[in-house]
Amino acid sequence: MGELCGTSDGPAARVLEEGEREMNISMNLEESITKYDQSKTYIGYTLFAPIGGTDVWLIDMGGRVVWGWKMLYRPGCDAMLLPSGNLLYAGHVDGDGLASVEGSAGVVLEVDWRGNVIWKYEDEYLHHTFCRMDNGNSLVLKWIKTPDYIATKVKGGIPGTEPGGVLWSDCIQEVTRNGEVIWEWVAFEHLNPEVDAICPLCERTFWPGLNACSVLPDGNILTSFHRTHNVAIIDKSTGDVKWRWGLGEIAHQNAPSFLMNGNILIFDNGLHPHLYPMGFSRIVEVDPHSSEMVWAYEDSPRTNFYSSIMGSCQRLPNGNTLICEATGGRIFEITSGGSVVWEFLNPFFHESAIYGRNNMLSRAYRYGPDYEGLRGNTVEGAGFQPELQRKGGLGNRGARMPKDERAVRRRIDSLGY
Amino acid sequence: MAVARRFKHGVVRYDREKAYEGYTLFWQTGTKDAWLIDMLGRVVHRWRMPSNPGMDGVLLPNGNFLGSCQTVNYVEAGLPPGFSGLGGLLLEVDWDGNEVWRCDTPYMSHAFYPLDNGNIIYIYWGPDLRLQGDAAARVKGGLPGTEHNGKYIWGESLIEINRQGERVWEWRASEHLDPDIDVMCLLEYRTQWPYTNSVFVMPDGNVLVSMRFINTVAIVDKRSGDIVWRWGPGELGHQHDARMIDNGNILIFDNGAHRRTYGPSYSRVVEVNPKSNEIVWQYKANPPTDFYTATQGGEQRLPNGNTLICEALMGRLFEVTMEGELVWEFVNPIYGRQHHHGLVNSIFRAWRYGPDYPGLRGKELDPAKFYWTNEVYGRVVWNK
Repeated sequence: MGELCGTSDGPAARVLEEGEREMNISMNLEESITKYDQSKTYIGYTLFAPIGGTDVWLIDMGGRVVWGWKMLYRPGCDAMLLPSGNLLYAGHVDGDGLASVEGSAGVVLEVDWRGNVIWKYEDEYLHHTFCRMDNGNSLVLKWIKTPDYIATKVKGGIPGTEPGGVLWSDCIQEVTRNGEVIWEWVAFEHLNPEVDAICPLCERTFWPGLNACSVLPDGNILTSFHRTHNVAIIDKSTGDVKWRWGLGEIAHQNAPSFLMNGNILIFDNGLHPHLYPMGFSRIVEVDPHSSEMVWAYEDSPRTNFYSSIMGSCQRLPNGNTLICEATGGRIFEITSGGSVVWEFLNPFFHESAIYGRNNMLSRAYRYGPDYEGLRGNTVEGAGFQPELQRKGGLGNRGARMPKDERAVRRRIDSLGY
Repeated sequence: MAVARRFKHGVVRYDREKAYEGYTLFWQTGTKDAWLIDMLGRVVHRWRMPSNPGMDGVLLPNGNFLGSCQTVNYVEAGLPPGFSGLGGLLLEVDWDGNEVWRCDTPYMSHAFYPLDNGNIIYIYWGPDLRLQGDAAARVKGGLPGTEHNGKYIWGESLIEINRQGERVWEWRASEHLDPDIDVMCLLEYRTQWPYTNSVFVMPDGNVLVSMRFINTVAIVDKRSGDIVWRWGPGELGHQHDARMIDNGNILIFDNGAHRRTYGPSYSRVVEVNPKSNEIVWQYKANPPTDFYTATQGGEQRLPNGNTLICEALMGRLFEVTMEGELVWEFVNPIYGRQHHHGLVNSIFRAWRYGPDYPGLRGKELDPAKFYWTNEVYGRVVWNK
């Protein structure tokens, strides 16, 4: 364990060593799995990267850490496990200007199971996320300057708040294994500055503020303009925005994903909504043909689920939805009926100048035990010792134990707590 | 705290040495019950009112409870979207719940202030104050074209009544606001202006108001009606509960909803010096996102310098020292149903009364009277 991988400027990633496992673990948060209904969950492993640290964790359903990577960079923001078993990770490279903006990355790294760097793509304007394509290329998001003659026409935002006088636009790039850019979509060439207005309560930093990209089965690109409250589909061949939806319905959304049924699942953060803000988030499923919402999840009381920024949602094979409530440091799984069947509170805390002492995570992904990327890899957690496992144990929740308490106990016992 | 507010109920923190001991009053949203609890979260008294709150209720120095009852069903009444917190009846009941005084106050909203002479100033959002045509067009901000029924912007006033129910003073907001200064939040519907949600009478008799849609706290000269002081745009996000404290500063509950920036949502309580317009004290949680209520909420500076804060939608009441240390924390275990929010344990406003408060003198404050209620709700889970 703990093999270092070589790059000229030191290790970019490695597997966590034993002594490091207690670092940054909250002493006052004794519970991490607070709900677990074994019969209704989609059992698998959950991957996440707390935003204040440099660790990427893979946990089982009992909240036990079964694998971890130590990265050289903090997340910026996404981390996912590829079918090859490698980890694809957007790293936050410190610096001036836009690098200090949350969501900025600077490097996208692919590391293998043991932390060796397999692929690396650097550009100081990379941000948020990426998408590994079937052909082995990667889509990345990159901030670019909006030309002045367009920037002056862009409506909305708080007047005069462009950082250094620059309104930053976006492009999506397709990058090969060799680092060549072979396709590019430039946002300002395809948006209408009169129509695609920036949210009036936001600084004029980004237009339209991309925070997602993925490839649809037909080859087109699904993305999200979070400063104009729209989710969009881009025609890969022409670059036209084929479909857009969201303004007036959702606010500063994150992480749209395309579902097997043809719908699109979106994390509607609910920051800066139109009309009366109540301070709650939702997960919405939209049919892109009719532009109608066909399913939505909100908590009751609604304010119990709220992340004003970041966050993710993933539809699981059994129809459940895994949700990452970023600012609350909570990952939970709900049925289509909205009942919570699994819930995890991130016990890894970090200090941050902006967020204080927090356990925030930007996104989370669940992988079934049959996922290709897990095949042949060690995930039984044998290398991780009891101190950490206790943090992942079922805590005492006072008067509100889950209904299936005995089942949870049996499960916990079988895991050897 | 993020954990406490979801998974724990009752008093979850109590530092006996540092907290200001007393009894805490709150009228549970979505229910008819106003509760008085002790420092351990045990119920010591209850008033059952004829309706849900709309929204505030206070314990008067004479031991009576004065509350604003919600008598209007504003979903059916055809009121604009976003209208909330309506009352309709001011009702004073004695310690045992017997009616002492009542006054119909249709279209009353959110809050009232009882004056020493027995008069009451309340907030009125009435249909007779609706602006339309040129008057509505003068109002700036908001989402274009979102006036109620395509034409109305509802107006507001402060009304002072005496104990005979007669109006003795009225201040109409639209006659004194400046449309060029008092610009509406750009993401709100243009259905009302300026959405007044708190009223407080200062020692000099002038009136301090909080106006949510224009992110402004203002002082109204009681005689001339002029707005003599404004503070808030750029700092506040849909604030509540502005009140002057003994040192002459103004405490404000800054909800932080529709705050003018992109970033994590948080609420804070700010103390502003109205002479210098500077924030001289504030409380924010660590991490800031652990304390957030998009709407409602309030604060009270206690005699020992601590501040009692009501994180409304989270149903959490807590007390902090001047240094920001949390010394008492209560998560409301009682849930009610409210049309806007569904099933909630939220609390619009809470008040702490010391044991020497005149209104509590000679009153029986024995939690044993509410044995079963306390068995169900009042479990003390603090660990200090």
